[in-house]
Amino acid sequence: MGESAMTMGARPGALMEESPYGIQSKKLAIWLFIIADAATFGAILFAYGYLRVANPDWTRPFEFWPTIANGIAMTVALLTSSLTMIGAVQSAQAGRKSAGVRWLGVTMALGLVFVLLLLREWSGMIAAGWRLSRNPLGGSVLFGATFFGITGLHLLHVIAGVVAIAVIASGFNRDRLDAGHVETTGLYWHFVNLVQLFVFPLVYLMNVR
Amino acid sequence: MAEARHSAGMKRYVVVWIGLILIVAIEVLLTYQHLPAGRLLAFLLVLAFIAAALGVMYFMHLRYERASLFWSLIPYLIFALFMMDHVWPDAFRLMHQRLPAP
Repeated sequence: MGESAMTMGARPGALMEESPYGIQSKKLAIWLFIIADAATFGAILFAYGYLRVANPDWTRPFEFWPTIANGIAMTVALLTSSLTMIGAVQSAQAGRKSAGVRWLGVTMALGLVFVLLLLREWSGMIAAGWRLSRNPLGGSVLFGATFFGITGLHLLHVIAGVVAIAVIASGFNRDRLDAGHVETTGLYWHFVNLVQLFVFPLVYLMNVR
Repeated sequence: MAEARHSAGMKRYVVVWIGLILIVAIEVLLTYQHLPAGRLLAFLLVLAFIAAALGVMYFMHLRYERASLFWSLIPYLIFALFMMDHVWPDAFRLMHQRLPAP
């Protein structure tokens, strides 16, 4: 039986029932993913929080320069990339393709700035002797595990976001993808940036010397 | 016309962006007030949740979606986080339940 015959035989409205949320299914799917991922980050941040407060010999190694200044720069880069992503979504929805692709390019560049700053932070700490299970200052070894674990998981999300934006920008530029795809990717990107609003105060500021 | 509407729409987001940057600045200033760890953690968490709410409602447009989307997603997440907060302290019981060495 052909598709048209199935459609004709179906109850009117059965195939085109409106979403109770009034949004496309891909947008609902990314929202469900974001909520699940938020619970994941919530779990590891709760675990970190309890370890941080319960360990009397917890190490607080961070100076304002370079670590906190680096963290501020990373946070500002990601927050600014949220703004440029909004520019991309609005341009795409207004049908201004080249402007949309340009905004997506700026968003990717800011994401890469974050990646480079975090890798610089990591290399400095590794050079100072920090490892997943080694604390060169002699305090709790869990500091390295939690710091590298939380920032590493977030770093993976940012890298995945940059790759996703590159794919979406390429498809949008070739008219294979539409503004809905740009908006859906934008939701993921904003979520990744909001995670930094918890990682920076809890993992960086709570460990200032 | 579309350009004017675009820039007018962006103004609102620039204001939210400035607000988020200010919240980060307040967090850094609070950190150097040498508050007790528990109180600093509480302040930072409150500010982080305010910043996240601004981001979710404006940057992620949840404010402009149907209320059903908000009520289907956010209470679930708050409930999940609330339950985590109640389950995690239970892990500390293990410290007091170690069997004595033979």
